[in-house]
Amino acid sequence: MIETGKVSAQILRPRRAGSGNNATLILALAFLASALLPLAVRAEDPPNPVCTACHNEDGNSVVPDYPKIAGLDVAYFTKQIADFKKFKRVSEIMGPIATQIADSEIELLAAYYSKQKRISGVVTDQNLAAKGLMIYAEGIVDNAVPACGGCHGEKGEGANNFPRLAGQHASYTNTQLLNFKNQVRNNDARKVMRAIAMRMTEQDMQAVSEYITSLKGE
Amino acid sequence: MRALLFFALALLPASAVLADTPAMVNQGIGSKGYVWNRLTPERAEAVRKKGDVALGQEAYRGCRGCHKQDAFGRVDGIYPRLTGQYASVIIKQLTDIRAGLRLNPKMEPFISFDAITVDEIADIAAFLSQATTIKENGKGPGDQLALGESVYVQKGCVKCHGSRGEGNGEKLYPALAAQHYSYLLREMELIKTMARGNSHPDMVTSLREVSPNDMEAMADFLSRLPDRRQSVAKAPGK
Repeated sequence: MIETGKVSAQILRPRRAGSGNNATLILALAFLASALLPLAVRAEDPPNPVCTACHNEDGNSVVPDYPKIAGLDVAYFTKQIADFKKFKRVSEIMGPIATQIADSEIELLAAYYSKQKRISGVVTDQNLAAKGLMIYAEGIVDNAVPACGGCHGEKGEGANNFPRLAGQHASYTNTQLLNFKNQVRNNDARKVMRAIAMRMTEQDMQAVSEYITSLKGE
Repeated sequence: MRALLFFALALLPASAVLADTPAMVNQGIGSKGYVWNRLTPERAEAVRKKGDVALGQEAYRGCRGCHKQDAFGRVDGIYPRLTGQYASVIIKQLTDIRAGLRLNPKMEPFISFDAITVDEIADIAAFLSQATTIKENGKGPGDQLALGESVYVQKGCVKCHGSRGEGNGEKLYPALAAQHYSYLLREMELIKTMARGNSHPDMVTSLREVSPNDMEAMADFLSRLPDRRQSVAKAPGK
């Protein structure tokens, strides 16, 4: 948002200097206003460019390190941004960015991204994905790991504070599971994800992450 | 003297912390002053709340990973079916785990004070007690059902759990009918060895007199009894 403001100011300055015409000034001001207020918008409008740089305009990032955020439930999205802002969820990249997002903007961003359609990923290791399916649907009974689908939905669609997992980059899901296991990520309010991840092996995590990327969420 | 006082003061906060973590201490069967149906403060609170079925269905989402969407558990008995159990019994079992009475390490993270509120326990109990699942439960081999029934009667199980395994919600006796065979067998074994933690002492005494084969027969017999609500429907006079 800050960057957008600078750009529009630069565009505006020469016009102002070159013309005493009121109509041009009004047009320019209108342009300035629209450029300065990309967030004072309806949920259907394109979001904050700070977000789209990594997560894409439709919330389906193409870089595996950045999560797909399309189709995340409003409740979950809102909590994550709030947690990033308070460094309750710690991320070197997202932490500082989140502090630039005003509280009043979070609601609009959440509404916008919740309406975007999640695009599923491509499975590169079918055997691994097949193992992941077993974990996702049945859990790991020997270690009392519940089936992921119990909370996150059979198709990975998620609900409320249980995030949509479907189609997520495998490496991102895997990193989050590891972070829960190693207590690097501690913002699961009920401490349940940490407890579950602690019961999983690294192989389990890779398998289930590979399967999740294939899910469509519907 | 001063050293002693210092020592006592140093101990004070430590014991206060321990008192806050009831799950760490087994106060269950075998411990001094154990009362199987002691009304813990939390259970009293949960019972007092009027559980909400719709909210319970929502909160139950956190249980589905093991007990499944239809609350039918697994037919291999690794996780029990929960549908149709009395709300009072579900509340007792859940709050007993949190109170360090029933020992269930598998379930602990999902029933911890972080994971679930007492309101949610009351709601989930309300939801499960009215939930119906019409499905085949896990059963035993079926070759000793007459023996199973006679052991069930002779050992006096019928007095509390009823002739149709229907239990008694008011008295906190669980319904056993149509529960998965392997689960019934496993829990009987845990009760017998006092590893379940929150059992009625008479259960331990009775089960110690039952041979492994008779126990299998009894579990099989119980697994084949119809769901308690079907029993009631068939015998309106009762």
